[in-house]
Amino acid sequence: MGRYILQRLIQAVPILALVSLISFSIMQLVPGDAATLIGGPSATPAELQAIRENLGLDKPFHVQLLKFYAGALQGDLGRSLLLGKPVLEATIERLPVTISISIYAMILTLFFGILAGVIAALRQNTWVDQTVMTFALLGVSIPNFWLGLMMIVLFAVHLGWLPSGGYIPWQTDLWGWFRTTTLAAVSLAVLQMGLLARITRSTMLEVLRQDYIRTAKAKGLPKHLIVGKHAMANVMIPVVTIIGIILSVLISGSVVIEAIFSIPGVGSLLGNAILRRDYPMIQGGLLFVAGSLMLMNIVVDVLYVYLDPRVRYDRGK
Amino acid sequence: MTEASSNIGYAPELDETPPQPWAFWRTDTFQRLIRHRAFMVGAVLFAIVALVGALAPLITSVDPNALSIRNKFKPPSWEYPFGTDNFGRSQLSRVVYGARLSLGIGLGVLVLNAVFGVLLGAAAGYVRKLDGPLMRVADAFMAFPAILLAIGIAAALGPSSMTAVIAISVVYIPRTARIVRASVLVVREMEFVQAALASGATHYRIVRKHVLPNCMAPLIVQLSFIFAYAVLTEAVLSFLGLGAAPPAPTWGNIIAEGRTYMREAEWITLIPGIVLAVTVLSLNLLGDGLRDVLDPRLKVQQG
Amino acid sequence: MALAHIGKPAWIMASVAALALGSGGAEAQQFTCPKKGGDFVFGQQAKVNSLDTHTSAAASTRNIAMSIFETLLIRDENFAVMPNLAASVETSADGKTYVFKLRPGVKFHNGKPLTTADVVATFDRYKQMGIDRGMLAPVDKWEARDASTFVIHMKTPQPTFLENLSSFLVPVAIIPAENATAPAMQLPSIGTGPFELVENVADSHVKLKRFDGYTPDTRYNNTDGFAGYRVACVDTVTYRIVTEPGARVAGIETGGLHAVEDLPVTSQARLKENKNIVLTYLNNFWIQVAEVNISAAPTDNLKFRQAIQAVLNMDEIMESASDGAFRLNVGFQYPGQSQYTDAGKETYNQKNPAKAKQLLTESGYKGEEVVLLTNKDYTSMYNASLVVAEQLKAIGINVKLSVVDWPAAAQTWSNSATGWNLFFNASGNGPVQGPVQTIRQYAAPQSAYKPKTPADADKPFNDAFDEMVNGATPDIRKAAFARAQVRLLDQVLVLPFGALNQLQAVRSNVKNFRPYRIQRAANVYFD
Repeated sequence: MGRYILQRLIQAVPILALVSLISFSIMQLVPGDAATLIGGPSATPAELQAIRENLGLDKPFHVQLLKFYAGALQGDLGRSLLLGKPVLEATIERLPVTISISIYAMILTLFFGILAGVIAALRQNTWVDQTVMTFALLGVSIPNFWLGLMMIVLFAVHLGWLPSGGYIPWQTDLWGWFRTTTLAAVSLAVLQMGLLARITRSTMLEVLRQDYIRTAKAKGLPKHLIVGKHAMANVMIPVVTIIGIILSVLISGSVVIEAIFSIPGVGSLLGNAILRRDYPMIQGGLLFVAGSLMLMNIVVDVLYVYLDPRVRYDRGK
Repeated sequence: MTEASSNIGYAPELDETPPQPWAFWRTDTFQRLIRHRAFMVGAVLFAIVALVGALAPLITSVDPNALSIRNKFKPPSWEYPFGTDNFGRSQLSRVVYGARLSLGIGLGVLVLNAVFGVLLGAAAGYVRKLDGPLMRVADAFMAFPAILLAIGIAAALGPSSMTAVIAISVVYIPRTARIVRASVLVVREMEFVQAALASGATHYRIVRKHVLPNCMAPLIVQLSFIFAYAVLTEAVLSFLGLGAAPPAPTWGNIIAEGRTYMREAEWITLIPGIVLAVTVLSLNLLGDGLRDVLDPRLKVQQG
Repeated sequence: MALAHIGKPAWIMASVAALALGSGGAEAQQFTCPKKGGDFVFGQQAKVNSLDTHTSAAASTRNIAMSIFETLLIRDENFAVMPNLAASVETSADGKTYVFKLRPGVKFHNGKPLTTADVVATFDRYKQMGIDRGMLAPVDKWEARDASTFVIHMKTPQPTFLENLSSFLVPVAIIPAENATAPAMQLPSIGTGPFELVENVADSHVKLKRFDGYTPDTRYNNTDGFAGYRVACVDTVTYRIVTEPGARVAGIETGGLHAVEDLPVTSQARLKENKNIVLTYLNNFWIQVAEVNISAAPTDNLKFRQAIQAVLNMDEIMESASDGAFRLNVGFQYPGQSQYTDAGKETYNQKNPAKAKQLLTESGYKGEEVVLLTNKDYTSMYNASLVVAEQLKAIGINVKLSVVDWPAAAQTWSNSATGWNLFFNASGNGPVQGPVQTIRQYAAPQSAYKPKTPADADKPFNDAFDEMVNGATPDIRKAAFARAQVRLLDQVLVLPFGALNQLQAVRSNVKNFRPYRIQRAANVYFD
């Protein structure tokens, strides 16, 4: 197992180098620069030039590139042009926001997704099954940014139950955190929920047909015990495999959702960095996020071994 | 949210049994599709949206970009079934022409995915030397959070419909290629392929006659979902101002332009959102049906 | 006006302070906070970059930084020059020396008293990286004569120098000497203002708190423009970044935000009904313009440019740009400003398609593509461009809209003379500060209208502009501005559409909050 983890970590290095090269190539092609944002619409061409000189944007691109890599090799991901602080610091101070909302969305996803899937499977081909699955299908079809906008209109504007945006850290005010993150978490969770409900349902149906479940039934074990203990254990396997994917999707989704709800998380940080041409922020931030996601995937794969005894990475590799 | 891998990325990896030879026009398959209720519902819904898009000029004679400032913010009425926006543009025209653009972009993504997904996937799966490098590059592309990659590419190329097609394709081609590669890897080792090789058949012939037809089922299923993701991602890109250049009436553009007036003129954002959701829903139903019928083994993993 | 007097070369050894007191004295009694305390939450539309106000010209930076930092000279309620940290400023007879006396008792947020060493260090940093460092070009050197006397020596006299120095576009905010080595965008937020920084959480909020060591300027009785007699009545101010217009409306309606800027005008009617909300207009927020490219065909042809000018219907353009909150306005100043002129008004808002078609024929136009470069980030620019496109198409011009984002559009305009014919822009903080600040980008060597070579830059305009800056008397400078404006309009080097107003709102329990170009938190209190 140790060797497997090490192997995966080593494999990640060239991929991250590629990630960084790809993002740099893309940014080289993007027209416009951060000076136009620092200057705003009233800035004259001379002022824009002055800003470019301040930020080193007047230097040739390969010079900026070399500077970035020289720093990155020493663990310095550079400094954001617009925020005036180191990229790593800017990213890390945003992490608790995105992670806490992702966990919230993940809990919603797992709870409602699995619950819906199990209920639908147990009531297969009844109206319950069909209703639940229709909602699951709707969940995977509704654009989440639009859902977010609609929920703002309904819950914030018309009903006034929840704030329309902003973020209160859970460390200072847990209730405030709930109020500010619920709409965002729901917007993020809906798609995954639908997906998970569909996966859980079919896995559950499959499992319920297995011999040992039939045997357990024949032995007269109560149904909730069969479902709760034997079947669920098997349902968890595909669920765990997609947790890594769910996380990646949540990060992806948070780019738009955080923007809509004015939440200062990593998603909006990186999305804005591209839209505002903050090159060092994009380079360093993306490298950090991609690296973290890859690490998460390794963790998930390792976790998988513990859940599914049939999988052994050490053997045969 | 807009990530193909959530639905498909992992499934073919679990593929250990060889797929059945398959041909699209087999009557049996066709019959089973016709009898598949979800598929038919999806097919009919999708056909309606696609027809509306294709026949846009017949449905409405109003130019979707024609301004009529005197008629701004008209709620839905007999004259303006979907109301008007802040420029007094007919929202019916915009949504109808939007179907044309949004589906067109989805189709473009589908074609690029089919072509490059198959080429790269087959190359990686069939040519051992290429496998490592190609898959590492694919891994790198897949290591990006999908939407950030699309945003970056779209920003680099500047807003246009073609940009949206390319940006979304780049996100999904590595995923399609992986699926094709997985199928090819399995097929390559099968007895009839080995036999063909032994009897002196050319690689080109083997790939064309044996390998590719056997990858068709998972590919078609994948493409139907890609279409759905493409339509969704295009809306996100447009919403961020990076999709088809405004004032082109893609659904994402309409929603983005309408959100300032969400409170006073909710129809501007509400209607294209619903149409968009219905379209994606129909594609998901289509995909489910295709998967059930063409590639039943996938069902276990994908629900 | 104070400004007019400063400029007079004959005006020697008189201090700004004496004159400025006149306008500050409008209120009989010095302001005291009727109530103290509370957290004043302001909904700000734009994201804040760094609060380094020397190196960020963005309005979002200035809105907040001007509560933290102060300057020697600044602008009053009517944008005339007024003193702030300067107790007085004396101009030598030859106009080559300015002597500033510092107000006594001023302290920085770190407790250190303000001395001229800090002022010298500030000017050193500004000269190096301040975005408007160009204004220090005619300056020879500066020095601290003693701890409270700061002297600027000019290379050549420039009558409008104090006007430039007091500009709030990129203010010369006075910082402690030890911070003067901070790199661009990284200035620590330590100033002398009535509020000090608590935290700046990018994309979320900026929180300020009352600076207890603040020494109010007792020459005044209340806030006046960016300065005046300022006290912090509220304990803290939170600038919350709310980019979605709908969310700002919801925020002011629910009371989560106490004041907001840039509201959609379409929400006006409903907000008016709400007894808890007071609506205010920030009039003359900016002048909506289209920059013109005279080196790219077909706008390299004067007749063609005049055809465009002739057909434009400014009522429709401004109606869409602003959703109805606008005023038609000729040229580059607003009525009521000392140098306002409507010279050239015959070129404005002609709505004459027949004349336009005639000019089009005369220009020999053959259907070449006209690219309207615009962006979606500033809705008013985008909206204006759609209407202009429609109006140009109506007379048979082959229009191509190029909608990109602001960074791409602005860079294309500033760096390139190809790929665009009209660029949709706005002149925000220039007009209120006087004509020089508004039209300097058309003067050589910048020439925002892109002459093919520097020699092609419009000579009559540049001559007039030169006199606007260096003319000996205000009357000469005003006449020069009228000539410059007429030239810009006659040659169609830029197309000003009109003045856009901005809708703002404040909760009715918030008192003494007056709309201004920046949100002033001093002297605001809760009832």
